[in-house]
Amino acid sequence: MADFSHEISVDDAIGAATSTQSPSAQALSRVEPPQNESGLFSGESVLNILKLIFAGAPLPEVLTIIARLVEAQGKGMYCTIWLLDREGKYVRCATAPSLPGFIAHWDRTPVGPDGACCGTAVYRREPVYVTDIRSDPLWDSYRHLVEPYGVRAVWARPLFSSEGKALGTFAILYREVGSPSATDLQLIENASHIVGIAIERHINEEELRRSEAFLAEAQRLSLTGSFSWRLDTDEITFSEELYRIFEFDYDAPVTLEQIVGRVHPEDIPLLSEKMDLARRNINDHDYAIRLRMPDGRVKYLRTKSYGIRDRDGRLEHVGAIQDATEHRLSEEALAKVSSELAHVARVTSLGALAASIAHEVSQPLSGIITNACTGLRMLAADPPNVDGARETVRRTIRDGNRASEVITRLRALFSKKEATIESVDLNEATREVIALSLSELQRNRVILRTELASDLPVVKGDRVQLQQVVLNLLRNASDAMSAVNDRPRHMVITTEREEGDRVRLTVQDAGVGLDPQAMDRLFEAFYTTKNDGMGMGLSISRSIIERHHGRLWAAPNDGPGATFSFSIPCAPASVTSAGRRPIGKDAKPIMRNP
Amino acid sequence: MVRRSLVSVVDDDESVRESLPDLLRELGFAAHAFSSAEEFLTSDYVAQTNCLILDIAMPGMTGHDLQRELKLRRQEIPIVFITAHRDETVRPRVLEQGAVECLFKPFSERALVEALNAALRVS
Repeated sequence: MADFSHEISVDDAIGAATSTQSPSAQALSRVEPPQNESGLFSGESVLNILKLIFAGAPLPEVLTIIARLVEAQGKGMYCTIWLLDREGKYVRCATAPSLPGFIAHWDRTPVGPDGACCGTAVYRREPVYVTDIRSDPLWDSYRHLVEPYGVRAVWARPLFSSEGKALGTFAILYREVGSPSATDLQLIENASHIVGIAIERHINEEELRRSEAFLAEAQRLSLTGSFSWRLDTDEITFSEELYRIFEFDYDAPVTLEQIVGRVHPEDIPLLSEKMDLARRNINDHDYAIRLRMPDGRVKYLRTKSYGIRDRDGRLEHVGAIQDATEHRLSEEALAKVSSELAHVARVTSLGALAASIAHEVSQPLSGIITNACTGLRMLAADPPNVDGARETVRRTIRDGNRASEVITRLRALFSKKEATIESVDLNEATREVIALSLSELQRNRVILRTELASDLPVVKGDRVQLQQVVLNLLRNASDAMSAVNDRPRHMVITTEREEGDRVRLTVQDAGVGLDPQAMDRLFEAFYTTKNDGMGMGLSISRSIIERHHGRLWAAPNDGPGATFSFSIPCAPASVTSAGRRPIGKDAKPIMRNP
Repeated sequence: MVRRSLVSVVDDDESVRESLPDLLRELGFAAHAFSSAEEFLTSDYVAQTNCLILDIAMPGMTGHDLQRELKLRRQEIPIVFITAHRDETVRPRVLEQGAVECLFKPFSERALVEALNAALRVS
């Protein structure tokens, strides 16, 4: 229990005014026996003991010094101090400086109605003064342990914490029969007070050490470190685990420069943004950021932080950082597999679909050609077999109709019979799409800004279809930036009211931009620049927007990247149902650019 | 008069069963149509058939099943497969297994004639 690593501090607490002896002896010589009239500790002695206590001197040492001071108050008097164990079941003698060998017999005295004086005092929560141990039944089982020291009377007083919790017992053993005088009582009272402080302080420190150890262990287990950052001085404190995560040297204090040096270059814009927000006291951050170690390893961190003000009103940013590298890597592997799977499924189902279309159409076509051949031959015969030819023509028409039915069924399959017309708040619909895409955007390190007009009128249309378009534009923008590493992956989604009772939605990216050669093909079905794309997205998006009597177009940015926009009237006369829309008719000229 | 070669057509698609025999007859063959492999096998035409035009994908016994069954019975009838599944890997596979030709629907009269000529030369 005794912790001698604090001996230096004891020395320091005593002050450098005296010669160098062993700390305890030195302390004793300086903590002078009281000289004052009441026989109590002098103010200076008390102060020195308190200094010892707060310098973190080992408890047994402090208790021994106090006991010696008390013993110096009078002859024939031995002072002992007892500590209650954690469970509150036993007291053990922690110090008895003038009774050699005494402690060894008293390391487990039960707390109870007959626990000599010291266990009984804790049990009764009041002083127990035994004037003669020879006659007092409390001592029946213990008498033999104190008689060899010539002890006759024992005065014990329980010790309590400031919250009234029992801590142990302070006891004076006297060589003569008798009860304590008023002076003795005062001495016991004063000494108990200081002993109580010493013990309570010791227990609190133990608790603190324990909880710090628990915290450190919890941080180690959860790979989570904590930090604080004083915004006025840029003073940064890292927990032990955070040092480990950043792989910083424990000895040196952490600086902002060090942190910036560790953060992945691609994430510096993100870090700057978050730090800027923190400095402006805009709070509650939850974001993913990467570190790049000197050897090139990348770590994925999850950060949660918020700002607080300390008692002086100074702004401090505190937070927890989790090393999510393992988690992230497995998540990435999973995402890769599932996106590959989705792609395979799409391609497979399209292949299967194409095969089934081919089969369905080939059967009647086969009949048509065969019948036509037969008919020709019958007509070419001499004489012509007109009846036979008529039959083949009849069958040709039947098979032609059959092929046509196949096409009709296919079209029904690919288009909703009825578009659902409702009032759509494009802002809200867009927010839903963003919410659904957030994790994907975050994974692609997209910094998204939204500028949604507050006065946006509702539009009439098919909410789900419009959301499909927004989702498609958002994904395209994100994909266009996936290879961008030399600049922040900024994406801006804007909604605004347009003249002529229209609303416009714009998605701007900082991606690879548009190939001027390919501008015309951008909205064609099956045209794609992506390795894993089908090239259907923009073509479908445009047909949806056109069904809403709107238009969809793309334009290159002044800087890097492209901007895709659509504009639709707030209340079209009707939304054309895809299934019933006559092909070729009613198709308006397509506007490529505004 | 020389007996005309009998071409048997086995296809579950009715329009093929209607149209193909007519064309075959116009081309100078005798023709008979069956809606399934089972129907053909249980008919009296197996031994007389000089060439079999056989759909690959049929419910029940497939064209391949029928080909195997005929081999087991030592009925070496030249087979021209026809199929609406335009899978380019099918043709080399069936040729390897002994078919004379594999035509993808819809096929031209000329392709049909060439396949039949090849089949009847074999026999």
